[in-house]
Amino acid sequence: MKSRVLVAMSGGVDSSVAAAMLVEAGHDVIGVTMKTFCYSGTEDHGKTCCGLDGIADARRVAVALDIPHYVFDVEEDFNRDVIDDFVAEYAQGRTPNPCVRCNSNTKFRDLLARGRDLGCDRIASGHYVRVRRDERGTALLRGLDPDKDQSYFLWGLPADILPGLLFPLGELKKSEVRARARALSLVTADKPESQEICFVPTGDYRDLLKTRLGAVHPALQEGPIVDRQGRELARHGGYAGFTVGQRKGLGGGFGAPMYVLEIRPEERAVVVGKREELHADSVDIAGLNWLTDPPAVGSRVHVQLRYRAPAVPAVVTALHQELGLELLEEVAAVTPGQSAVVFDDDRVLGGGRIVRAESAVRV
Amino acid sequence: MHPHRRVVLTRRIGYEIQGISITHDLQVTIPAGEHDSVNRGAKRARASVWKGGWSVDPDSRLQGSKVHAKSYRCNLSPTLRRARDALPPPMNPIYLDYAATTPVRTEVRDAMAPYFDELFGNPSSTHRWGRQAAAALAEARDEVATVLGARFSEILFTRGGTESDNLGVCGRVGWHMSQGDRPTVAVSSVEHKAVLTAAKKATADGRGRCRVFDVRPDGSVDMDAIDAALDEGPTVISLMWVNNETGIVLPVPSVAERVRDAGGTMHTDAVQAAGKVPVRVDEVPVDLLSLAGHKIYGPKGTGALFVRRGLEVAPLLHGGGQERMLRPGTEDVAGAVGFATALRLVVEERAVEAARQGQLRDRLERTILESVPDIRINGGPACRAHHVCSVGISGVDGRSLLMSMDLEGVAASGGSACQSGSASGSHVVSALYGETDPRATIRFSLSRHTTEQDVVRGAEILARVVERLRGGAPV
Repeated sequence: MKSRVLVAMSGGVDSSVAAAMLVEAGHDVIGVTMKTFCYSGTEDHGKTCCGLDGIADARRVAVALDIPHYVFDVEEDFNRDVIDDFVAEYAQGRTPNPCVRCNSNTKFRDLLARGRDLGCDRIASGHYVRVRRDERGTALLRGLDPDKDQSYFLWGLPADILPGLLFPLGELKKSEVRARARALSLVTADKPESQEICFVPTGDYRDLLKTRLGAVHPALQEGPIVDRQGRELARHGGYAGFTVGQRKGLGGGFGAPMYVLEIRPEERAVVVGKREELHADSVDIAGLNWLTDPPAVGSRVHVQLRYRAPAVPAVVTALHQELGLELLEEVAAVTPGQSAVVFDDDRVLGGGRIVRAESAVRV
Repeated sequence: MHPHRRVVLTRRIGYEIQGISITHDLQVTIPAGEHDSVNRGAKRARASVWKGGWSVDPDSRLQGSKVHAKSYRCNLSPTLRRARDALPPPMNPIYLDYAATTPVRTEVRDAMAPYFDELFGNPSSTHRWGRQAAAALAEARDEVATVLGARFSEILFTRGGTESDNLGVCGRVGWHMSQGDRPTVAVSSVEHKAVLTAAKKATADGRGRCRVFDVRPDGSVDMDAIDAALDEGPTVISLMWVNNETGIVLPVPSVAERVRDAGGTMHTDAVQAAGKVPVRVDEVPVDLLSLAGHKIYGPKGTGALFVRRGLEVAPLLHGGGQERMLRPGTEDVAGAVGFATALRLVVEERAVEAARQGQLRDRLERTILESVPDIRINGGPACRAHHVCSVGISGVDGRSLLMSMDLEGVAASGGSACQSGSASGSHVVSALYGETDPRATIRFSLSRHTTEQDVVRGAEILARVVERLRGGAPV
């Protein structure tokens, strides 16, 4: 069915091709770029997405495709919903996924509201995921390119908006997307991937934390590096600089390679241990959002605990405010703050944020 | 006349593809020496046109000449092109945003043309090329001075309205500071950001004071605040002549007299006033006056600053001695010529166009008032220039309104995009009606190109879009 579609264009190659494909499919396409963040004072830093250059590239592509294009200024919402949360999570010793936050709270919500005003029946983006309608309703599925699948970032979408979403790239491989972009001579065809966080202009998130929290915040103060028994082994320069599983930045002289096992903000402590100690076999997940009916206690699911990590089989052990999962394969470095996404095969059931991970067997 | 090396012929060609009618200007450039024969041939030439490209009829006498055509769409893939062609024909778009910018008029383009190639010299050079360029620059300066009632040496060419405003306000404030004074700069609340921000910046380091005085919806200004600022002395007052967002004509003549009597400096941003109201510096005692080319069918990046004789201004840029050392840098001769031509022509036709556009503007406002419930004409009670109609509309989001109008083919504008705090989206409307005013702003602005059909259709489409956004009929 031909419809009027609002497509989110970041100025990258993926969303450019998504927009072109929608035009080719005969839709009445309107491109939009969300202005999420302004690099005041550092605008020449050359980030590839979301920034002002992203807006300019998206506009060039829109002109080449001969579609209208608008910029939605969501700076205020983005600041409150994404950046404030990002900072607060690090301050509490967790490792957030800001892109999940943005997709769940800012991007699609604003697109929907604005799309309604502009008479659009569909919202589209260049994410590598698929939407399929079947007897169980509308399903969000992994993208077919295993290297690019972005379903991990979209578990937080409100379930009721799924029927109105289009993801033209879900069936494509990245290489095919590049080839299409080149065939259309889009200016973004050979633009490099953006993997960095769009609102961290210097590339080091600790600079942002310093600006936002102030350099005297406990998360940025010196503290002890301890072992599981609480013995101080060394000092660190601020626990916000660490994430579970990290090896770098701990200094040497432990006799064996050491990894961050846990961050204890109340003691400003970074707990370290050997690689084996990183393994977890159960995980608790909070802040849940379901795109389908929630799985029953005792049922088997798959859970993905990090972007690009494989999903591992798990059994649902509890489901109230939090979801308890027993992992049927041990997973290393399960990190509080990261998203846990629950799958049934390719289908996203829902997800949440990891609050704690444990291992029944202590090494 | 200026000597031309080449002749450019423009023909308007209309054609139709799948029910979509398209017109193009086909430009044919004829090299020197083929003047007469080709000129005749060109008139007979039939260009055959196909979608997305151009060719010249092989029998045409134009064979061998270079044909330039502005293709309106380039490099579309076959699939994309098919997809686009399958869409319903686009509506004729209506441009009602001439206060944002205007197209350059043909006379202006023609006047500028020789200075891009043949007469390309640097006015500062000693040789004949330099002399020719200097002469053209002088002629342009003379033209601007005559139109404004100024002296030749009182006109400085700049690169646009923002630059003129900055040089006028910051330059004068800076000169006072260089004399060891602590000046006050007082600007109205409805100034363009080029004045408002420049005034704040110029005094930000504490070496001066910045005051903002109010303007009321009827166009009157807070004279007490101006008097208070004048008492602080030395004082620079900046009051725009015609407000860009509402068209309100501000009382520049009376304020200028007050400022002169008090010994202050009077700057006025007349960017939107030129061609709309009489702007004469021999009748109104302003000291500094800013103009821009692209609002009056001249090129973008051109403008002028009038600096009354004897008034000291500190330069913002440093370099050579051009423009009395107040605006160093090699002069944009073509731009100056274009600007001067545009200014002369727009002032010549002012009375006729003021009457004609004024009627269209009234028609537009009447239609909107009749067809859209609960709206306000911003600055309605004030004396307003003939080319702007700013409407305050409740119950809609300003950004959605503008985008929807664009999707319907109507180009208008809102407030300045950087003002996301208030519903109006305009610091000018907020200044007139308060920060908490819940109405969205849409500004229509007219020009010599605007027709009755444009304003009638614009009003109709506005009514339809507002009804839909207010939750009425679906699309």
